[in-house]
Amino acid sequence: MTVSALTRPGERDRLINKIGEIDWLFCLTITLIAGAGAVMLFSIAGSSWTPWAAAHLARYALFFAIMIVLSLIDIRVWFALAYPVYGIGFLLLIAVMFVGHHALGAQRWLQAGPITIQPSEIMKIGLVLALARFYHGLSGKSAQLSWWLLIPALMILAPVALVAKQPDLGTAILMLATGAIVVVLAGLSWRLIAAGLLAVAVLVPPVVLFGLHGYQKQRLTTFFHPEDDPSGSGYHILQSKIALGSGGLLGKGYGLGSQSQLNFLPEKQTDFIFATLAEEFGFVGCVSILILYAAVIFMALRTSYLSHSHFGRLAAAGVTATFAFYVLINGSMVMGLAPVVGVPMPLLSYGGTVMLTVMVGFGLVMAVRVHRYSEVTSGKGSLL
Amino acid sequence: MSEPSIFFAEVNERQGVFHRRAFLLGGFAGVGLLALGGRLAHLQLIETQHYEKLSASNQFNFKMTPPPRGLIVDRNGVVLASNRPNFRLMVAKDKGMDPAATVKTLAEFVPLDDTRQTRLLKDLANAPRRSPVQVMEDMTWEQFSAINIRAPELPGVTADMGEVRVYPYGGAFAHVIGYVAKVNKSDLTPTGPNADPILLNPGFRIGRQGVEEAFDLNLRGKPGAQKVEVDANGHEVSTDPAGDIKAIPGKEIVLTLDADIQNRAMEVFGDESGAAVVMDCRNGDILCMFSGPSFDANRFVRGLTGAEYRALAQYERKPLFNKALTATYPPGSTFKTMVALAALENGYDPKTVHVCNKVWFWGGRPWHCDEAHGALDLTGGIAHSCDIYFYQCALTVGPDKIAKTAREFGLGEIFDIAIPGQKAGLVPDTAYKRRQFPKDPVWHPGETPNMGIGQGYTHLNPLQICVQAARLANGRKALHPRLIHSIGGVVQPSGAAFGDLPFSHENIDFVRNAMVTVTTSGTAAKFGDLGLGDVRMAGKTGTAQAFGYATGHGVHDRAGEWRYRDHSWFIAFAPTDVPRYALSVLVEHGGFGATSAAPRAREIMRVALLKDPEIRARVEKPLPMPELPQTQSDPDVVDPPTPAAAAVQNAQQPT
Repeated sequence: MTVSALTRPGERDRLINKIGEIDWLFCLTITLIAGAGAVMLFSIAGSSWTPWAAAHLARYALFFAIMIVLSLIDIRVWFALAYPVYGIGFLLLIAVMFVGHHALGAQRWLQAGPITIQPSEIMKIGLVLALARFYHGLSGKSAQLSWWLLIPALMILAPVALVAKQPDLGTAILMLATGAIVVVLAGLSWRLIAAGLLAVAVLVPPVVLFGLHGYQKQRLTTFFHPEDDPSGSGYHILQSKIALGSGGLLGKGYGLGSQSQLNFLPEKQTDFIFATLAEEFGFVGCVSILILYAAVIFMALRTSYLSHSHFGRLAAAGVTATFAFYVLINGSMVMGLAPVVGVPMPLLSYGGTVMLTVMVGFGLVMAVRVHRYSEVTSGKGSLL
Repeated sequence: MSEPSIFFAEVNERQGVFHRRAFLLGGFAGVGLLALGGRLAHLQLIETQHYEKLSASNQFNFKMTPPPRGLIVDRNGVVLASNRPNFRLMVAKDKGMDPAATVKTLAEFVPLDDTRQTRLLKDLANAPRRSPVQVMEDMTWEQFSAINIRAPELPGVTADMGEVRVYPYGGAFAHVIGYVAKVNKSDLTPTGPNADPILLNPGFRIGRQGVEEAFDLNLRGKPGAQKVEVDANGHEVSTDPAGDIKAIPGKEIVLTLDADIQNRAMEVFGDESGAAVVMDCRNGDILCMFSGPSFDANRFVRGLTGAEYRALAQYERKPLFNKALTATYPPGSTFKTMVALAALENGYDPKTVHVCNKVWFWGGRPWHCDEAHGALDLTGGIAHSCDIYFYQCALTVGPDKIAKTAREFGLGEIFDIAIPGQKAGLVPDTAYKRRQFPKDPVWHPGETPNMGIGQGYTHLNPLQICVQAARLANGRKALHPRLIHSIGGVVQPSGAAFGDLPFSHENIDFVRNAMVTVTTSGTAAKFGDLGLGDVRMAGKTGTAQAFGYATGHGVHDRAGEWRYRDHSWFIAFAPTDVPRYALSVLVEHGGFGATSAAPRAREIMRVALLKDPEIRARVEKPLPMPELPQTQSDPDVVDPPTPAAAAVQNAQQPT
């Protein structure tokens, strides 16, 4: 298989060639991260496959298969489905406001028979796809500065507002940031970027003061003054820092993390799994995982460079940005650099929803890679 | 946008912008990840020791372990108070625990009646979360193991082994030693030794009364700590014996008491109410200090029910009262020894004869005696305890001189025997009348005869009377009583380390000889012979009016209702030739001194003497063996060896 083979339309559509084009090093890297997650979940459960480790691996295997299948879907199909996916996601977000499932004071889930759907997760992919498709058809000049830009602004803000209303501040911020990144990558003029940053700087304080729910505000104040409330909200941050710090260079040893094993660490299998890893494997373990994450981000971003289509570029970069935000927000939260905002560490944390989103996103990234030479025009192309 | 016909120039421009900005994005991500790495390095490499400490203090708790309470032993090492293992059942409020259901379940294992269950639930409701409430003590091994097996499914329930105080001689030492009991809220102080958190431990007991109270801090010891691994909910996960801090046991306290003498005192008192104090009249050691009737101190350790306590508190003979120290009585005729000595010291001629015709008229009223003793000198007056003799003798000396003598013998004094509860009583004199009776500050002459026979204002406790007997018996030293022999091996000062009695030896010897006459031909003639050969006892009887006969209630000797009868006293020392032991015995409402007190004193004194190896050697003289013909014919025969010596000889001979 040579690059030139891919450039010939007849050959590049052959399944075997497509499979060969999948970035298998990338697959290995994300599998290593998911495997590390399973290793930690096994430890947290007291050296038991149940309740988390086995489910984590089984889920990953299923989602990995989904990712592979998605990566074989022609980029033109992704292109064609971009607006429909966004539209469905948007409708579901509205639906969730009325018939959503209440849990933990938030309304985020839709129950469809045995399946629980979290529309905001669909929207994470849908937003990236829709923005990529929109900018695909927009000239570079218009992308810089034009009235056309009101459309992507609306495309971003409408779902973000709905998600923030649920309330799911973490996801809202994540979607807003991802959307903004795509807009910037598409070529927004620097003046508008500066103006946007200024607007954020001006708008955030009043939003924090008046627009946030009680628990959200609490999390923020706790972040700035954790010592005020060591047994309440500050507890999470403090215990997480204790877990990290006490891990030291090499960690306390596998299965010997007292902070997680004795339940001092909250949400130890989900949001704070990184702290568990830090406690048991120390600085060396943490840096190893961070290097794997950096590799994933690097490889995904490289894919966006390879794409010959603007849609592919923006879609891959958007997914990469989402993933990077996950890692950075969770990392900062666990290390006491950011408030606690319920964002898990992708692939490492236990939980199917985020893992599915991330793996679908990676499927898109792989599809961009596999179909990097495809001409992307609307309405053309077969499913595979 | 329906036809995204993309021209190359356009494409290249957009691509260029994208590439530059995506590179920037990658750069930002890289910087972000590096920042996380830097933060990790800060937390895990630089501040790690700080967080290790925090982690350890999360993970480990130190659970206080009460120290074993110090033993209390008698002079020979016989254990009077010790600790035994105690299987306890505790329950504590906890998350996800239903107190009512838990108590119901526990009732299947241990007997818990309905009132106890309600009380438990109330205690649980009042107790702070996770602080254990005791359900039961002294479970059997079967109950203990059954609970322990089920404990994991019963949140908040623990069964553990603690220690509980035990008094092997239940009642005999209850007043002297006291007992231990649960800590009351009023025991806790914000500072000082009772601020110690160990007091809050459910197994902890605090000393009440007697030695247990007075030496509580010595007996307590220092609590240890058990290193326990806990989870975030405070549940114990495991223990780490290597990290335990050992408790330091409380100090052992050796008393001067002798368990055998004390037990004999309890036996001979039976149901009678009163007190017996025995002292070594060479050094002041208290060998026995019994108050009867007594109570079982072990019941107090467990905690009495209201009904049990009321029964003890309301009983006419006052078992909760330490009559040896806390109660004062008129000394009756035992006081005549003091009157006689005061008289002799002030030039009274012991040959002075007064005639007793049962009634003596003086000061316009009749003064009575038990019988018509006829003509008596001072020795006779003491021997027969003639009141009419001492009315007149006392009048000759006067109250102030009698009081001064009495005080030299420790009467009216509070001694430092280290345990609380002594009542000083009173030895009256003219100054006392001036002080206490502003309306009638004059000592009337008619009050002196009463004082001469140990009645009137004079009130003394049995310990003081025993000290008086011991000082008389010693004859030289102003002995002080000593109850505590040593604390944690530190020997306390002897009671002989005090000054001499400021009396002429001749006069003291006179009184002592008169006391010998009491038990040979006087009021207690039956009791001089102890059945121990020439080891005899001297003494003085006393019959103290509890109620004036004139009131119509008071009854002489043992006639009439118990509470109106006279108190029966006896003081004594033995052996008469070389005194070693002195005692005082009081039998409340026991009638004549010779009726109740003297026979009991005889029994107690016998034990004291027989416990003394030198006295025993004197008593157990080898039988003379002249009857055997062969010993007579063989002059070389040796004394038969004692059984012990024979055993040693046998052991040395190879067989």
